[in-house]
Amino acid sequence: MIILSYLAVGTISLAFILLSRSHRTMNAFSILHTLAFLAIGAFALLTTSVPVFEGENRYFYVDHLSIYEALIAALLFFLASVYANGYVESLMQTKELHRNNLKIFYMAFSLLLTITSFAFFSDNLALFWIFAELTTVFSAVLVAILSAKENIDAALKYIFIASGAMLFSFIGLIFLYTLSGDVLGSGTLNWTVLMANAALLSPKMLTASFVLLFIGFAAKSGIFPFHSWLPDAHSKAPSAVSAILSGVLLNVGMYGILRMYSIIRQTQAEHLISQFLLGFGLLTVAVAVLNMLLQKNLKMLIAFSSVEHMGILLIGIGVGMPVALFWTLFYVLAHSLTKASLFFSAGILHRQYESNLIQDIRDVLSLQPVAGWGFIIGSFAIIGMPPFPIFSAKLFILLEAFRFSQPLVLTILLLLVIASAAFARFLIEAFTRSSKDTESGEAEESLPPYIVRPGMKLPILSIIFMVFALGIFFPEFLENLLNGIVHELGYI
Amino acid sequence: MIFSILTDPTFLEDTIRMLFVFVLVTAAFILLSRNIASLLTVYTVQSLLLTLIAVFLYLIQGSQTLLAIAALTLVSKVILIPLFINLIEEKIKISRDMKFNYLEPTASLLVSVALILLSYVFLSGFFNEYVLGKLFFIGAVIGLSLTLMGMLVIFSRRKVITKVLGYLTMENGVLLFGIFVADLPFIIEILIIIDLMILVLLTTILAIGLDSTIEEYHQRLQRLNIWSGGKL
Repeated sequence: MIILSYLAVGTISLAFILLSRSHRTMNAFSILHTLAFLAIGAFALLTTSVPVFEGENRYFYVDHLSIYEALIAALLFFLASVYANGYVESLMQTKELHRNNLKIFYMAFSLLLTITSFAFFSDNLALFWIFAELTTVFSAVLVAILSAKENIDAALKYIFIASGAMLFSFIGLIFLYTLSGDVLGSGTLNWTVLMANAALLSPKMLTASFVLLFIGFAAKSGIFPFHSWLPDAHSKAPSAVSAILSGVLLNVGMYGILRMYSIIRQTQAEHLISQFLLGFGLLTVAVAVLNMLLQKNLKMLIAFSSVEHMGILLIGIGVGMPVALFWTLFYVLAHSLTKASLFFSAGILHRQYESNLIQDIRDVLSLQPVAGWGFIIGSFAIIGMPPFPIFSAKLFILLEAFRFSQPLVLTILLLLVIASAAFARFLIEAFTRSSKDTESGEAEESLPPYIVRPGMKLPILSIIFMVFALGIFFPEFLENLLNGIVHELGYI
Repeated sequence: MIFSILTDPTFLEDTIRMLFVFVLVTAAFILLSRNIASLLTVYTVQSLLLTLIAVFLYLIQGSQTLLAIAALTLVSKVILIPLFINLIEEKIKISRDMKFNYLEPTASLLVSVALILLSYVFLSGFFNEYVLGKLFFIGAVIGLSLTLMGMLVIFSRRKVITKVLGYLTMENGVLLFGIFVADLPFIIEILIIIDLMILVLLTTILAIGLDSTIEEYHQRLQRLNIWSGGKL
């Protein structure tokens, strides 16, 4: 039922967007689409007793983890579609988005949400693989939609790296299929079956198939050394899309890694794979942080910060303890929301200065107070200052990791200090510059403020409210939900 | 007479082995050739070879899925995808892809030999030949090598259209690996082909903007400087 209603809503919204003529109606339908997905997710969580299979042939499976991820996705898409109303109009006004491409934009947007949700609900890993592949394709459309050569370059780089790596994942799936066939008689790729019989699977083959699967999922979530597409795609995409790429699509890869790891966790291969994940996590954080430090481009800074956070999530998964998993899951939500507010703010700033470069930004707080403060608060939240939710999530993940390896945690802490320094440096340099005191001593002509269209500020403000609230107060239903996931993944 | 040959397993196995060699030759050709039209022809031949391998394997094993895979490959990769790419190539009006990144042709041939050895070593660590059967083991090695060589094409060639052919080669490698190692459910094969078609459609359409020698596209794309800083 749940899957069917998702499918029905997805199809109907797509059809309506296809038929509508004005930007306003297309946007309205995409907002309705996201709201409906939020409602279905919430309804399923409240009324259905999960985990439950969908359909006769058990291709789909609904459990707490999949609902949680699908809800985060729908929430982010909702915020992005509210933001898109004014933002896309403004893109068309400056001719950065061609009016003929408007319909393609909204159709790809709507399809992307539907497909991402299906990816989360797939029990069959091959099905998950295909949906994950399709998310790459449709999000690449959204990256390439602006009329600039750089966008097409970025989109193609994204497709070739992510899809090419995903082919190695498929070889990993074939490994897994033969492996399960040896043990169970007939091969299967159903996660639930693999999970139940994990102890029987040969650790050596399982390790090999995990490593192959990891290549593709890591490329999807921007883990070093497959991250090179991410800064380009995330910084060149329209800001509404960047928020989705960072807040939702990176989670798809992480979700795959987490599902696979929870199978591995029950076998003897666990120790090796844990070290493997911790190693890649550390490298990812290091590479991202070093790229952030002297970054001159606002959106590049935010994009590399996504790479950094994926590294920390990987460490959270690699630690393999129930508490670490709990906070890793919470981290996913906190990161998605915070990152979206940063990209939304950066979008308004790009409208104002028609540039993302540090030297073009001046008089921020007088020209764009909401975006300016949104970016400042977002920066504090993303580097993990208390009382923001990333602080507690990071703290508990690192405390758990401390039992694993002390040098690792100390190195990570050092890197996190550098990441904070990178944000601080950018803020101080860009946000304190005023057109009245330039180096030459002459006052420059001050810019006319860009009139922010309605709907663009609302998502930023509501996210700031949400992260504040989440930082101070941990709602009980969220705690139950996360505990449910930890339980279902076999950690307790 | 013909019938008795077609049911003789040793003859069939030998034929498949011969086809393996041809498959590797096509992959090497895609790595090296500078002429775009012949690249596409070679890809078509490669897909046809895969179809034949699947058919011969069906004659040995008798698994219906293999026959279906052969039919699917024939329709999608031998007919539809090459037709579409040909259409795009006519639109782009370029005939040669001269430039190489990182690796010159000779070097990339040497690297491919290394990759084939690597896949042999890697796979023999996991499937010893007794579990899988000798022919199947070689099939898996060739499949993995083909995937890696396709990756090399994506790395070392400049034009988008050549990169697309590299990706398609990778996918052929995965298919080959799949038919020799496991019989995946047919529905998954269909879904993969659909995914592949969408991907090829999108990348080649985007390639029109980048690879094209036609002025119109360049003007349309380079009029705006969205990312190189503002008017300040």
